[in-house]
Amino acid sequence: MVDIIKTVITRVLFLDFIKGLLVTLKYTLSRSITLKYPDHETWIPYERFRGEHKLHRNEDGRELCVACELCVAACPTDCITVVPMEDETGRRGINDRVAKVWEVNLVRCLYCGYCEDACPTTAVRLSRGFELACTDLDGTIREREALLTESPIPEHYEGGVVVKAKYIRKLIQIKPELWKQKDWWPAKPGRSKKR
Amino acid sequence: MPSIDTLIVVGVMLLKVLIIGGALFCAPLPLTWIERKLAGRIQQRLGPHRVGPFGLLQPLADMIKMFVKEDIVPAKADSFLFKLAPILAMAPIFAIFVVVPFGPDITIPFIDYKVSLYITDMNVGIIFVLAISGLAVYGLIFGGWASNSKYAMLGGMRSTAQMISYEVAMSFAAVGVVMMSGSLSLVDIVTSQSGGFLNWNILYLPVGPLWFVIFLIAGLAEMNRIPFDMPEDEGSLAAGYHVEYSAMRFAFLSLAEYVAMVSIAVLLVVFFLGGWDNPLGSLIPILDYVPPVFWFMGKVGAFIYFFMWLRFTIPRYRYDQLMTIGWKIMIPLSLANILATGMIKIYADYRITDVLEMVGLKLW
Amino acid sequence: MEQLFFIGFAFMAVVAAVGVISLRNPVHGALSLIVCLLQVAAIFVLLRSPFLAVVQVFIYVGAVMVLFLFAVMVVDLRRVELESPFNARGIFAYILAPIAVIEIFAVIFVSKSFDAFTTVATLPTKIETLARVLFTEYLFPFEIVSVLLLVAMVAAIVMTLKKGRS
Repeated sequence: MVDIIKTVITRVLFLDFIKGLLVTLKYTLSRSITLKYPDHETWIPYERFRGEHKLHRNEDGRELCVACELCVAACPTDCITVVPMEDETGRRGINDRVAKVWEVNLVRCLYCGYCEDACPTTAVRLSRGFELACTDLDGTIREREALLTESPIPEHYEGGVVVKAKYIRKLIQIKPELWKQKDWWPAKPGRSKKR
Repeated sequence: MPSIDTLIVVGVMLLKVLIIGGALFCAPLPLTWIERKLAGRIQQRLGPHRVGPFGLLQPLADMIKMFVKEDIVPAKADSFLFKLAPILAMAPIFAIFVVVPFGPDITIPFIDYKVSLYITDMNVGIIFVLAISGLAVYGLIFGGWASNSKYAMLGGMRSTAQMISYEVAMSFAAVGVVMMSGSLSLVDIVTSQSGGFLNWNILYLPVGPLWFVIFLIAGLAEMNRIPFDMPEDEGSLAAGYHVEYSAMRFAFLSLAEYVAMVSIAVLLVVFFLGGWDNPLGSLIPILDYVPPVFWFMGKVGAFIYFFMWLRFTIPRYRYDQLMTIGWKIMIPLSLANILATGMIKIYADYRITDVLEMVGLKLW
Repeated sequence: MEQLFFIGFAFMAVVAAVGVISLRNPVHGALSLIVCLLQVAAIFVLLRSPFLAVVQVFIYVGAVMVLFLFAVMVVDLRRVELESPFNARGIFAYILAPIAVIEIFAVIFVSKSFDAFTTVATLPTKIETLARVLFTEYLFPFEIVSVLLLVAMVAAIVMTLKKGRS
């Protein structure tokens, strides 16, 4: 009997219908998950993200890579080519060894990060660059010079935010505090902010 | 040679027709933008945002696209009716606005000339509205039939059956409005509801809300909007009656659809929400300075928003459910409601304000 | 001025009426009938009877013709267009049509009730008057018509029921 009365009230006052309308109203007021991607907004991936390779330098500006070719050995897809050479410092041993050629085929690469693990000097690290599209096959091979340029996203920046695309596109290094951040997943109780 | 006064009257009339017609022709431009933006928000997308600021120029871009697209008439179509159908769909809906009052008479300052904010005040206004809005279905029928396509044909047939079914309930609801307001003229219907929202027909308890719901549902069905957009059901009929239309003819059909939506919103406001009436009466003195046309437009806008909101909230009804609602629920309900309204009108013709006054509560 | 409008509407009505019976495509015929009915409604307006005009549009154009088209649209048009419009039953039409025409003219010319001036003057122009007359003086015919319509409606529903089903 109570059920019947409940059903009648629900039907007469269109309660289910109003409930549905409220759900869509909630979504209307919630934030859009679409990004104005290439030209206005860009997503900065999390720190763990494995994207395009980068070669790093030490504080003096000397390349960290000593062309030991361990990354070549570790690579499961043979996408890295390293040719070592001695530089003009005249020091013997490993100190004057640098890579003459260090190139990676980004089409073959499966972004496993083994080269990163194998590297004894932490010279090669996978950055957070994911915009690898190109119009011909030459663009898929990254040379040493290109790999040595610095990524616009600081290495230890937490990531997981949406920023204005111009910061990334114009390669302006800006302190993370100044970025207009838009938290991707709003923090909910029970889910910690730190991932 | 007619006198100068006659010429002025005719000129003012023509001006009003031009303004209303122009406004209705342009109405779909902002409405499509709002609808797509709202659709985006509800689905957590952005909606159009590339063309112009916030995508505001998107409808213009669409219009240019519509103008320059190829106008295709199918080879085996009945080309005369095919070309006539968009006009048949559009003209009656524009004609509804002939009797719609947008506001009370205004006096133009300096020359002291009184202008009424409606084109004509027919003494059979409400029947005229129902009769003319019924004609709009011919655009769909002829368009569907003349396309010589089975989907279009089925769309046309569905719209016919749907219109016939809901026209009855809608007319009954209009009868209810006439009973509550005691006049067939739309201007009198509005003036009978003046004096705050408690006097509106929607709050003519206990029958007012029911009439409102019946008219709302029947109106949704009449203008082929979700949840009753059977004639253009994408799932089962491709695009229904306008599947063969392209370019400008398609633009006219969708223009007709948008104007139909505006017309139903306008009728709901005039019949149930007191037209241009200020909702709070003179409770808040400052609201008296708001022009009545603003209230009218505000209410119409709210209804249009509601229709769009509805469109992206609930799914489409099945065809048999549509017919069941029309014949087995709406019509018996409205018949019973006519009886109830008549009884109330004879034995206890009151509005809420009257009751409040009786217990000594005078709001305004 | 009014005369001019009347001639225009009447001419259109007659042309449309001729179209109804002469057009081979039934849908085109229905369209002409719609045009004809609309012209007649316009003539009602000229006769100071907007209520009748609107009701004419509402009932005939808005409802009856829609149902009519609904039926016509499901007809196989190619077969209809090939078929000769004159068949064996035509002989009755040839006899009955002239009789009907003579009858109409006789009524128009002989009867006093078609005297335009007296009729227009006595027609109730306000709807209140019309309603009052309908529900007092002509209440009995009104009720009879209502009952007739109800009977027709029930009959239509009964006819659609399949035999053997209760």
